[in-house]
Amino acid sequence: MDQKKVREFTERYLKLNDCHILESGPTYLLTQLSIHADKDLLNRPFYWMYVERMNLPPQPVRLSFVFDPENHPEEIRGEHLFYGTPRFAKILQSAQKHGKFVRLYEEPRYEPAYTDLTKPYSPWLAVNYKVSYVCDQKRDRLCSLGINLNDGTIREGFYEVIKDRRWSNRLPAKRYTVEPRLQVVEAVGELEYYLEETIRCEDLTWAEEAEKRLQSELERLDVFYPDEPSMPDEIQKEKKRRREEIVWQFHPRVEISVINAGLFYVDTPQQNLTNQKIWL
Amino acid sequence: MYTLPIRMDREWLHQFLKRIETDSDWATWERFQLALEAAETEMIPSFESIQSLKQIQGFRPLPHQIDVVERVINEMRGRAILADEVGLGKTIEAGLILKEYLLRGLVKRALILVPSSLVLQWTRELNQKFQIPAVAQKKAWMWDKYEIIVASLDTAKREPHRDYVLNQHYDMVIVDEAHKLKNRRTKNWQFINDLKKKYCLLLTATPVQNEIEELYNLVTLLKPGQLGKQSQFQSDYVAGKRKAKNEAQLREEIRRVLIRNRRRDSNLHLTRRLVQTIPIELSEEERLLYEGITEFVRDRYRRGTDLKSMLALFVLQKEVCSSRDAVFHTLFKLFQKGEQGKENLSPEVAHLIELLRKVTRSSKVNAAVELIKQIAPEKVILFTEYRATQEMLIRELAKAGIHAVPFRGGFNRNKKDWMMEIFQKRAQVMIATEAGGEGINLQFCHHMINFDMPWNPMRVEQRIGRIHRLGQTKDVHIYNFSTINTIEEHIIWLLHEKIRLFESVIGELETILEKVDGASTIEQNLMKLVLESADDDRIRQELSKWGDQFHQKKQEVEKQKEEEELLLYGSEEG
Repeated sequence: MDQKKVREFTERYLKLNDCHILESGPTYLLTQLSIHADKDLLNRPFYWMYVERMNLPPQPVRLSFVFDPENHPEEIRGEHLFYGTPRFAKILQSAQKHGKFVRLYEEPRYEPAYTDLTKPYSPWLAVNYKVSYVCDQKRDRLCSLGINLNDGTIREGFYEVIKDRRWSNRLPAKRYTVEPRLQVVEAVGELEYYLEETIRCEDLTWAEEAEKRLQSELERLDVFYPDEPSMPDEIQKEKKRRREEIVWQFHPRVEISVINAGLFYVDTPQQNLTNQKIWL
Repeated sequence: MYTLPIRMDREWLHQFLKRIETDSDWATWERFQLALEAAETEMIPSFESIQSLKQIQGFRPLPHQIDVVERVINEMRGRAILADEVGLGKTIEAGLILKEYLLRGLVKRALILVPSSLVLQWTRELNQKFQIPAVAQKKAWMWDKYEIIVASLDTAKREPHRDYVLNQHYDMVIVDEAHKLKNRRTKNWQFINDLKKKYCLLLTATPVQNEIEELYNLVTLLKPGQLGKQSQFQSDYVAGKRKAKNEAQLREEIRRVLIRNRRRDSNLHLTRRLVQTIPIELSEEERLLYEGITEFVRDRYRRGTDLKSMLALFVLQKEVCSSRDAVFHTLFKLFQKGEQGKENLSPEVAHLIELLRKVTRSSKVNAAVELIKQIAPEKVILFTEYRATQEMLIRELAKAGIHAVPFRGGFNRNKKDWMMEIFQKRAQVMIATEAGGEGINLQFCHHMINFDMPWNPMRVEQRIGRIHRLGQTKDVHIYNFSTINTIEEHIIWLLHEKIRLFESVIGELETILEKVDGASTIEQNLMKLVLESADDDRIRQELSKWGDQFHQKKQEVEKQKEEEELLLYGSEEG
């Protein structure tokens, strides 16, 4: 992430989290944090406990971020912010914490017909999964899945489809939603099943190789500590510890976590209501 | 068929259902997008690529360092001995590796064990260079409170700390100066062996000091059995204390767990050192003072005094080549006790004071001012051994309109940083009394004045090492101030022309010096040679003999080292 992107991201974060930008220069910006941003970006739980217990007026801090220290005037103090600093890591964490769950209605793309009928939305559940492939190394990939709550259709790359549309937190006039046929819990189960199947069909060479490494390390250990009845307790314990370390280090697995999820009510042209797959 | 374990996070689901049920706490579309972007930023796109390089600023790791990071992570799987020669950046390599694992979420808890004198330096370096939130361990409660701890090995292995540490699981353990783990029968070795650890880095420039078995012991900490069982190792590879057999195979095995970069192999050409002796003629008054002090020192030495006064006399003899102020300071201390209670100073001392008073200007300072003005606007670091000289120089340079900042060991960390910053940004000159000391990197400066000369070659090399190091892009100019017809001239002749200390780095300098001078310190040895010689010719002869001895030992050490390197690591990376 270059400095331009770091700055863009930071400014978006601050605006979306009710922080005021007090000064903005070419090399830096000064911001008044909101209370919840202060709690997320600074580590001072005792202060906040104290203020809240004693009912004192809260004083969130001001932070000055420098994005271009080379050209930054010396007299304006500030902290150098870049991808890799603990502060920016906290911004990234805080952004994830506050964007977890949404329920959104698409701004109508299709004018309702002159018949002036009110019109239903088609409901989708979207989940952004982070899939991590872990052994002694690691890689991640994003898997954005959507499932239609009416007919159970599953779409990969769901976010790509919805990201350029306009969304609102409120149900627009003359629109309504109907109880979907699929429960959210059932839908999540479908997505998980789908995801697991996908992963099992992927190229698993990496895992097999990690498993091989694991086995050969364990064999080496068995040669070094041959199992003999005469082996002293202490050595037995040592061997056990070494075994645990090797498993800890090498055993291949996939860890799936959820970045965020939402209910998306998608606008659909009237005539295609019966065939909802076409809009995607 | 092999089934891959898949762990699915479901904790989010009940939070989500609760939102639906209560129809509250929904995020906005913009926040949802920002969250996803944040998560994508942190994702690791492939197993092999090195991410940490994108997350550091302020320095650029060298190619051989990046190479080490890649090999340790992708080939050695995070358990390795980093055995680069001194000065090639083992700390940087270890920092990058730790950072890489932290970014990938493969390391959360890490323990860095170092000599106690290096705890703060390591902590600072991890914090500042790598933005790793490491904490220096000070109290026992800190062991389970912090995730990344830098501690002294000696502290950690003792109760009550030992218990805490052995109860933890560390995703990564780093041990600096790991040659302290060469002996399996020591507490150090046992302690590291008992630690529960996933990844482990052992840092040492000398994985073998005395015998090949030391290397076996280090490897056993990382990967027990990698070099076979002890008896097997002995019979397969060891022919004698420093002799191996089946060398090719041994080298191959070592390559799997140990990385060693050498200056020669890794194309790490430092810039040149351009050395210049600046001869300085003493004024009449300075000459009289020099002779007065020399006579006084010799006289006292002949009469024999206790060791403590002897040391003071040595210092005095050296100081008279530096500045009047330094001499005065020591004379004052020397006689504060001896002359207390007496009405008048002894005639001997009174005479010296009289000589001292007559010196009103310093030839060396004049030379320094002139030289610094010539070098301007480029920066200069000037070294002196004496605090009094340092203070005098600050005043005198200020008078000449030259902005200079002081630097000494006694400054606390903040002040040191502050002084370095002023030097980098505003001042032309830094006047330093100490060369060692951690974290002093002055690569932006490439002129250095030795205002006076330490007699110990190690200290001279430390001075040069402040500016002549990896990262220096320009040739380095070294100016040695040498007062004509004084002991200083002899010493500079010895260091410069006889043992050729300045032009290039002498590897293993410390080992060579130990062999030449044994247990006693080199300064005292040289001083004795000087004081016991009747005249200048004799001094030159004695120093020359010392220099010959140095050369002889140097050859021995180098030959032995070369054989060992060849044996263990081969001649060139394959």
